[in-house]
Amino acid sequence: MIHVEHLSKSFRVFQKDPGFRGSLRSLFKRKWIEKHALKDLNLHVGPGEIVGLVGANGAGKTTAVKMLAGIIHPTSGTANVLGHTPWQRKNAFRREIALLMGQKAQLWWDLPAGDCFELLRDIYSLPEAEFRKTLGSLTAMLGVEGQLRTQIRRLSLGERMKMEIIAALLHQPKVVFLDEPTIGLDLTAQRAVRKFLLEYRASHRPAMILTSHYMEDIEQLCERIVILREGEKVFDGPLADIQRAHSVRKVVIARLGEPAAGSEAAWERFELPAAWASAVRRTAEEVRYSVDRGRVAEAASRMLQGMPVADLSIEEEDISNLIEALLHRRPQ
Amino acid sequence: MLRYLRLYAAFVRFSFSKAMVFRLDFSFRIVMDLIYYAVNLAFYGVITSHSEQLAGWDSGQVRIFVSGYLLLDAIAMTLFSTNLWMFSKAVNTGELDYHLVRPVSSLFFLSLREFAANSFVNLLMAAGIMAWAIGSYSESFSAGRVILYLALILNGTLLYYVLQMLTAVPVFWTQSGMGLQGLFHQMARLMERPDGVFRGWSRKIVTIFVPFALMASFPARVLFSAEVDYGLLLHLAAVTAAFWGILLFVWARGLRAYSSASS
Repeated sequence: MIHVEHLSKSFRVFQKDPGFRGSLRSLFKRKWIEKHALKDLNLHVGPGEIVGLVGANGAGKTTAVKMLAGIIHPTSGTANVLGHTPWQRKNAFRREIALLMGQKAQLWWDLPAGDCFELLRDIYSLPEAEFRKTLGSLTAMLGVEGQLRTQIRRLSLGERMKMEIIAALLHQPKVVFLDEPTIGLDLTAQRAVRKFLLEYRASHRPAMILTSHYMEDIEQLCERIVILREGEKVFDGPLADIQRAHSVRKVVIARLGEPAAGSEAAWERFELPAAWASAVRRTAEEVRYSVDRGRVAEAASRMLQGMPVADLSIEEEDISNLIEALLHRRPQ
Repeated sequence: MLRYLRLYAAFVRFSFSKAMVFRLDFSFRIVMDLIYYAVNLAFYGVITSHSEQLAGWDSGQVRIFVSGYLLLDAIAMTLFSTNLWMFSKAVNTGELDYHLVRPVSSLFFLSLREFAANSFVNLLMAAGIMAWAIGSYSESFSAGRVILYLALILNGTLLYYVLQMLTAVPVFWTQSGMGLQGLFHQMARLMERPDGVFRGWSRKIVTIFVPFALMASFPARVLFSAEVDYGLLLHLAAVTAAFWGILLFVWARGLRAYSSASS
């Protein structure tokens, strides 16, 4: 559904020296720099797939989404979304896609959501019966049936975002771009949005591209992620592959029982060699070590012998730490 | 075409709903335009009370000319001016993004989505002033000539829109639209002068390059002339078509240059 080849985007950015003198100089002589927002992106997304675009601020996630939604033109490269070149902005293309930006409202602030949806019905020329059916189903899934007559400005942030989601999906798009859909929401609202997106994906099978800074969004919604660093793709694959390819450590967790009489001081001094293990957490109830993969068995054995262990478990390293490490690793 | 008419009807309904939310503001805009009408009629009333003719027109003709640009202004204010004022903000804040993903002509959507419901009342008043100016004129006009006059005022409105949009679109490159839009509003005052006051090179400028004289003055000239001046009509059509073509070209280039705003 989405095929991207060598997509790049550069912006010319004006640079001004600070202060009044800098302003005066810039009036006569401008300094411009070329900023490469996205470099040579290749990407393929199929129906029913949710791909997470992950990266630090300014990594090029939103630029990529805006090019694929047809809002901005690329500097070079090609993209094919549902058989269309997005930036040609054909109506047939725009009828089949949806864009939701968590940081920008598309609904009209002073009117109830119901009125805004009516206008969108006219914009997308949706048949009345189909519109009512979709609206009913979306409002029920998101639990906002009772809020349709309330002015948007009077809704809570969570309710507003739910209305924004409905506005984006009313025309049942085949491709959905979600740019930080849970930003600013409390945990309950985040969970509700994620649950809805999974249900919607299951029932409608759209291709979705999601950007988010919340790892829970990525972990729970995306089977596959693309990591961007300074405009370049540094990883593209299933979440599990990140662990396989980049995780060099595992976490060994010991839950502690009652120590034998007189042994407190001995086990409290217990340490694993710093060369291949480091303590992540140490309390009276639990000790966690991050251990080199090749030393896991040895670490477990030493911990069982050296501490009053009631229960021992071995886990993969937290995915968010791995992504974080990938994001900040300098390009080779 | 039918789809766009239906959509426009939806814009109008939607805008009325929005305007009614702010009742006080609704009435202030009506008062504001009423003052504008009164000042313009009084201004030319004073001039024609001291001079029998102004640029070849008597007081009755001047009144019709004034009613023409008041009607044009009311149509512009009602249909598109609000949209064009908000345009540079939409470009700079990235609000334009959502408009560009809708399956509707972006130029149509951006120019007409806000129908100024409160100016609509003024539009009715401006139409009333025109009816009064034409009705109270010393000679009577044929119905055909009045219809032609109204059609030319609508053509003038289109030209006014094109020029206003042409001064708004450069914001894609300049990022700030204040200067050019201010220039447009200053130049738009040329529309409020009878074309007879312009001679030589200044006439060429206001009839070809910044054709404000074609908006209300030329239509009035067509209404007053004994025979229809087809040369004048051809000039009007050619200049309007040329400017429309320029706008479409510049608009397409502008959208290519649009860089949105960071989130």
